[in-house]
Amino acid sequence: MSAVIAPVREEHIPAVQEDLARADLYALIARLLYSPDRQLLRAIAAAGEIGAETADAPLARAWRALAAAAEACDAETVNEEYENLFIGVGRPEVMLFGSYYLAGFMMEKPLALLRDDLAQMGLARSESVREPEDHLAALCDVMRHLILADENRDTAGLEQQKRFFTRHIQTWYQPFCDAVLESKSANFYKHVARLIRVFFRIETESFEML
Amino acid sequence: MAETKGKLSRRNFLLAVGAGGAGAAATMLAKSVPQAETKGELGDDAKGAGYHVSEHIRNYYRTTEV
Repeated sequence: MSAVIAPVREEHIPAVQEDLARADLYALIARLLYSPDRQLLRAIAAAGEIGAETADAPLARAWRALAAAAEACDAETVNEEYENLFIGVGRPEVMLFGSYYLAGFMMEKPLALLRDDLAQMGLARSESVREPEDHLAALCDVMRHLILADENRDTAGLEQQKRFFTRHIQTWYQPFCDAVLESKSANFYKHVARLIRVFFRIETESFEML
Repeated sequence: MAETKGKLSRRNFLLAVGAGGAGAAATMLAKSVPQAETKGELGDDAKGAGYHVSEHIRNYYRTTEV
């Protein structure tokens, strides 16, 4: 395992605070959508406020609500909710894969387009992994990677992030969030969905400023 | 000039809405987990050393102690 992962070298970390914060938020969302655990919930519950211009900023509110939910829920309950929502027996209640929202089925053309784009960026899925690349956690992790790997911090790097986000996340995150918010099985993950919705709206708006 | 202006307003926007200040909360979570090999790998070996998204996530999220 340690052969695949290693600490990011110092020079890869963007100097700009807001981009590092974005990378961290992507990492956190990916982790919540892949496999939540007790330590993660504790850390969220214990984390401080998000420093926005006003305490009433939507991201700050969504974060506060998630932290309160993390404090109130035990890990077993959250794990069970995760399994019921996203894994299920047979068909999951809520799909985590973009192709489902974009084409109506898993493993459809949008996944092929995503694979082409990943290949162009030199990224690929390990052969030993079963989940398709359009899992929202994987897409968030690609965004995190693009932010952290952008050493030049120029417009081209941001344009690459924008292109990936616009093509592969912006196109379907809203119906995904709606599905979680409408689910009767969801409780903790409704807070996660609200955080995702607010953060991705901010991303959309900020990319439009480029 | 326009590019700099665009960057500045984007930065101000991110800071104002809290996406730039999220570090206080989210950084501690992300910092304590292993990160992926990134750019150095990409050009070295297109087949073997590419960024293995899902494999990375599997390791990333299953071996983590926050």
